Amino acid sequence: MTEPVLDVTAAAPYAAAAPRTRAALVARPDLVVCNECDAVHERIDLRRGTVARCRRCDALLGRGHVMPVQSLLAFAFAALLLIVIGNSAPIVTLDLRGVISQATLPRAILYTWQSGQPLVALLTAATALVFPLCFTLLRLYVLMSLVRGRVPRGFVPAMRALNFVTRWSMVEVFMMGTLVAVVRCASLTSATPGIGLFAYAALTMLLTSILAAGTHSLWKMGSELGPTR
Amino acid sequence: MKGAAIQTGAKLGLLSCRACGRVSQLAHPAPAGVPLLCPRCDAPLHHRVPGSLQRTWAFLLSAMILYVPANLLPIMSTTSVFGDTDHTILGGIEELRASGDWALALIVFIASIAVPLLKIAALLLLLVTAQRGSRRKQLERTQLYRMIEAVGHWSMLDVFVVVLLVGTLRFGAFGAVQPQAGLLAFGAVVVLTMLAAGSFDPRLIWPEEPATSATHD
Repeated sequence: MTEPVLDVTAAAPYAAAAPRTRAALVARPDLVVCNECDAVHERIDLRRGTVARCRRCDALLGRGHVMPVQSLLAFAFAALLLIVIGNSAPIVTLDLRGVISQATLPRAILYTWQSGQPLVALLTAATALVFPLCFTLLRLYVLMSLVRGRVPRGFVPAMRALNFVTRWSMVEVFMMGTLVAVVRCASLTSATPGIGLFAYAALTMLLTSILAAGTHSLWKMGSELGPTR
Repeated sequence: MKGAAIQTGAKLGLLSCRACGRVSQLAHPAPAGVPLLCPRCDAPLHHRVPGSLQRTWAFLLSAMILYVPANLLPIMSTTSVFGDTDHTILGGIEELRASGDWALALIVFIASIAVPLLKIAALLLLLVTAQRGSRRKQLERTQLYRMIEAVGHWSMLDVFVVVLLVGTLRFGAFGAVQPQAGLLAFGAVVVLTMLAAGSFDPRLIWPEEPATSATHD
């Protein structure tokens, strides 16, 4: 897929000793360096539906799957809507001989806090609610500017924060957790999955397709539109 | 390996930013001690992340210590007309299996028992081999690293299940669920193993060849 680069240094201008560290780093947009094994590859244009993998360690280097910014923005709006629904509608409804018990995610977190496990409540709030919400809001913020051909203020900190919340969002695990919880409740009482569960299931699929696109195209777009700082 | 020799970023003075993917080239050797920052996003640039092994060891050892209370202490207790009962992780899986939910019992077993154990074992293997500068099975070890990065957060499943049960099963004396200390230990194990995997720089699996171009097996 990619040709080995044998003599890269010959192409690089050897600048005179620069006073600042930043000036000593020359951009090489023509190259890709594998983040998992440090192998150097020439950058090639990928056709839609193809992926580039590292010749040495098989790591994913890039995807020829660049969704237009407009679609990414639409996906982010849809994700925000699903997060709102998923957190305001009950996830499961229990009926114990006429006594109804419903739970939304924020209330389950609140009860866990009150039952003497505030740290578990915070961990759940962060990974199932706050980080997915931040992920969506940060993407909306960045994409709304990019779609108008502008670099948003604070593009770099927003994108770095996006890296962080992406790593610690666990929507798909939470979705599976709700299924397990519903089944375990069903063995005791009559349990009905609620709208919240379906919203989170849809959100799982939506986030998966958003994540498949990666953030490198956003970084690239941001730096091509103008100074990112 | 087929084809021509692989050139590495360390050999050519090329640095790839792990935050934004920009590739930078050192135009002249950088003075030692000066941190190199990505011109696009200000993230630090390294050929190999310094202190990666030490940090991974620290997170991993903490996770291994907490793994013991996570499995011995109850993760939740239930109140019902039959009295109070404590539940451990293994006990919860056994209950699911006994009530006939084989598939769910298997999912919870994989997420709560198999994934954390395999993660700890895999990280130990990666750390020891990377420390010795081993060149054996490098592709397989990189794939192992990618696997633990991909499945790591699935262990949080049991934490979410208990939180949801606490939120829904609220019938007072007729049935209620309280979270217990084991759940906190278990959540900490998941977070610590994720931090350990995140601190490990997979490029350490691929130590630089000596300057006299040695051939790769």
